Amino acid sequence: MALKGLDIFKLSPKKNCKECGCPTCMAFCMKVASGAVELSKCPYFSEDAIATLSEATAPLMKTIEFGNGLKLGGETVLFRHEKTLVNETRFAVSIDTEMDAATVDAKLADMAKVDYERIGERMYVEAILVSNRGTDAAAYTALVEKAAATGRALVLECWDVECAKAALEVCKAGKPILDGATPENWEAMNDVAAAAGVTLGVWANNISDLYDTVKNLEAKGNKNLVLDVTAATAKETLANAVNVRRTALKDGDRSFGYPSIVNLTRFAKNNEHLQTAYATMFIEKYGSIVVMDQMSYAQALPLYGLRQNIFTDPQKPMKVEAKIYPINGADENAPCCLTVDFALTYFLVSGELERSNAPVNLLITDASGMSVLTAWAAGKFSSSTVKKFFDENDIENKIKNRTLIIPGKVAVMKGEIQEKLPNWNVVVGPLEAVQLPKYMKDKEYEAAAAAAAAESAAKAAAGAVEEVKELSFEELLETKVPKIEVVDMGVKYKGHNPESKTFVTIGERIHCISPAIRKAMDERDPAPILKRAAEQIAAGATYLDVNIGPAEKDGPERMMWAVKLLQENFNNVPLALDTANKRAIEAGIKVYNRTNGKPIVNSADAGSRISNIDLAAANDAICIALCSADGIAKDNEERMKHCHNMLERGMSLGMASDDLWFDPLFLVVKGMQDKQMDVLNAIKMFSDEGLKSTGGLSNNSNGAPKAVRPIMDSALVAMAMMQGLTSAIVNPCDLRLMETIKSCDIFKDHVLYSDSYLDL
Amino acid sequence: MSFVPKKQAYNAHVNAVTLGTGDKATVIGGQNVLPFYTFDAPIENAPKIGIEISDAATEWTAPGLKQFYEGCTTMADFAKKAETMEGADFLCLHFESADPNGANRSVEDCVADAKAVAEAVSLPIVIMGCKNMEKDGELFGKIAEALQGKNILVMSAKSEDYKTVGASVALAYGQKVGAETADDINLAKQLNIMLKGLSINPENIVMNIGTAAVGYGFEYVASTLDRVRAAALAQSDEDLQMPIIAPVSTDTWSVKESVATAEDVPEWGDQEERAIGMEVSTAAANLTGGADAVIMRHPAAVATIKKFITELV
Repeated sequence: MALKGLDIFKLSPKKNCKECGCPTCMAFCMKVASGAVELSKCPYFSEDAIATLSEATAPLMKTIEFGNGLKLGGETVLFRHEKTLVNETRFAVSIDTEMDAATVDAKLADMAKVDYERIGERMYVEAILVSNRGTDAAAYTALVEKAAATGRALVLECWDVECAKAALEVCKAGKPILDGATPENWEAMNDVAAAAGVTLGVWANNISDLYDTVKNLEAKGNKNLVLDVTAATAKETLANAVNVRRTALKDGDRSFGYPSIVNLTRFAKNNEHLQTAYATMFIEKYGSIVVMDQMSYAQALPLYGLRQNIFTDPQKPMKVEAKIYPINGADENAPCCLTVDFALTYFLVSGELERSNAPVNLLITDASGMSVLTAWAAGKFSSSTVKKFFDENDIENKIKNRTLIIPGKVAVMKGEIQEKLPNWNVVVGPLEAVQLPKYMKDKEYEAAAAAAAAESAAKAAAGAVEEVKELSFEELLETKVPKIEVVDMGVKYKGHNPESKTFVTIGERIHCISPAIRKAMDERDPAPILKRAAEQIAAGATYLDVNIGPAEKDGPERMMWAVKLLQENFNNVPLALDTANKRAIEAGIKVYNRTNGKPIVNSADAGSRISNIDLAAANDAICIALCSADGIAKDNEERMKHCHNMLERGMSLGMASDDLWFDPLFLVVKGMQDKQMDVLNAIKMFSDEGLKSTGGLSNNSNGAPKAVRPIMDSALVAMAMMQGLTSAIVNPCDLRLMETIKSCDIFKDHVLYSDSYLDL
Repeated sequence: MSFVPKKQAYNAHVNAVTLGTGDKATVIGGQNVLPFYTFDAPIENAPKIGIEISDAATEWTAPGLKQFYEGCTTMADFAKKAETMEGADFLCLHFESADPNGANRSVEDCVADAKAVAEAVSLPIVIMGCKNMEKDGELFGKIAEALQGKNILVMSAKSEDYKTVGASVALAYGQKVGAETADDINLAKQLNIMLKGLSINPENIVMNIGTAAVGYGFEYVASTLDRVRAAALAQSDEDLQMPIIAPVSTDTWSVKESVATAEDVPEWGDQEERAIGMEVSTAAANLTGGADAVIMRHPAAVATIKKFITELV
């Protein structure tokens, strides 16, 4: 295993003396792990610790580079769901010295034909395996030169030392692999490979001879190896491939920690269909380079598709390129369907549109690879992003048809998109992709498009669109924020001491994902919002979260209204301001009363939303800092890296470390059960560094039966509080959860026990 | 000292489920190691191949399929011919034309077809519906009744209709039932628990844990297979020890790679070869991940996968 910052941290002095220039020992160790700082910068590591660290630094499986930067190996897990597979299987076609020149030329020409792009990746045959079958060095060298001329990476399959030497002379600059060491010739081959500075491939008749030969080569100091695990049968080859990988990663024996070569031409020669089957198997089961007789499109289409699937990071969704995809021969006169760039969404929607047989332009916008609703909630799929996409891709001029169909799930965006794209007729499409074929075939969108057009025409007739001038917060407050009426809801917020150590609950029930709240926010109708606020306060919430939705248009006045409404009605209850619209957060803070604690900015992350930390710093607010950038962090190494990035940023802007509340991102049990302990351990790490933490804890039980959720949430909050969690975004109306929190605060000695502690 | 690989067989094993009756009965599942890991322990039962016969099979256009089924007009004709296909372990009757939003064939017609097939062939029979839950619910019950004693497998019961399908297929008529979920291990486990809750014997349950053609989100299928098998063997989770059947052809024959003609995309070459490639690769990917049976269509693809299985076990 690669040495991680956290492993170094365990051996560190944990003094947080800052002599190394880093704010904490943890930060220092992370930098050492990434190679940014030398361990010697810290004078306090013990000699034992230094010795242990250098021994443990080697990864279990080496990453080997060949050709023009093709990486092999470097895997850390046996199954992709455990973490991620990092270096995808590479394909090679095989030529040999027994083929006549015409055959070789034809094969190389055929190979070059497969070269295309799929979801942002170039798909082609990356390498050529040049097999030497005789002892004629000149003939072999000539063949190698021919292969090298294609510019593809080379694997020289050659057990003859002299031939190998000669061939390397003409191609070593291209960093080929010399697949030539055997139990018989390894010593001589080792010298040849070392002299040419290339990776050496090792092959043996059985796995134990292979192991011994690797040991011999390692004893000579060569660890630049790949293992040719090919045997006489597919069955034995699979056994070798699995045993080699398992021995390295599971048993921790680094002598088998090298990438593999699987040569299908040795046991499935000239059988294209069977090679497709075996290539499939070795993509899934540990082939680093898979060698085939050829690569036709009938092989490439499934194999490269599968490879792209298997080697995606399970935490990071696949994206397709944002652009116009004409379907069923659509031209500029065909209507447009709009959706997001999540690869599965794209495949689903494009497939259904194809089935409709109706020409249509599918418009894919950049939404960071999120699905429609997730992207909308995160502000990645909004009228602004759509407008930006239309401008950047010049859609207005490229397409003449003015019908724009948006996904039914985001019907709420219709008005805003219509406003930003006044020349288009925005139509709300079906909720599910499967409804598209009928919808398109029957042109169900036509009536709606006509209605939209008529509405725009009426608006145009009514006079020019009023010019929008950006108003200052004071002006907005004056003109756009309705006066607040104080209503007695029979509940009084009991106050909050920011210095208190008790667990901070942030009530999550005022959220625009709820249709009732969305409507109330749109209409500035206080009643539904006050009702939910009163319930949460009565249940004991410390803070209330105020989610006003993406609120692109009227964010500032919305937020000011909501803040004033809640604080004036409920004794200045402290609030978390929750929206993707930064100006809205700023506006909210302008009218915020700090009696019961600073406002919370919800939220920043280590990626595109990192500037929310700046916003919090400039306004003396608390900031929830999500330990993720694009997608969920794949391990605690990454979580802590994000944590320290944000910590450094905040502190450099003068924030107190207490004002950054780190969110490890609670994950849903149904789907990410094996990652739950990672999240809990991350909380412990925050706590060990004296940092505060929070998060949407009830996400863990998403999709679980209603009756089960409070039980799961309560158990998790107890475990998380044990780890040092200081706050959570929860539904305070969940009695079991709130009682658990109060009980944990007793055990943590944050609140003095009395028989009535639950009633307090 | 020479290297000796560590073996990793498990104490738990996948349930062995028998389909069909008599000489031609076939067993799926049974192993206590990961797929094809013969170096850990022998594979109890080699994975099986089912041949898909659709009630719309006369519309199949691939030359190799047309040639193989030349002269066949009824489902029973197709089934008799399919039985001769090299590598066929069972037959899968796919009643896609029953779909009310499509040809809307009547339940009676479908049942008559199923009966005719059952009389004409001796290989075990698997039934696949039209994906319209209401229609399938009726169809499954009637076919299970008509083919009583044939020990067929009916695909599939889902979390929405498991009570109806499970009760009629497995409880009333003693057939095997498929439990279908979509790439979600937690749901797969829950559905098995619910089927067992109806007092269906676990030995009468087969899982379809979700399918996709390679390239089309197959990572979800692959990881679900990995995780289901790990739960069944390493954690001895009895609620996930049902064998897995993967309908391959229904996915692979409808993706662009198989559907686009040579005129549409000249550089891609022969259309039928592409369809075979997608079918072979998707079947191999499922088997490598842990499927105990695959359902396929093209004779060339079936022959390839048969050889693949034979060479590996």
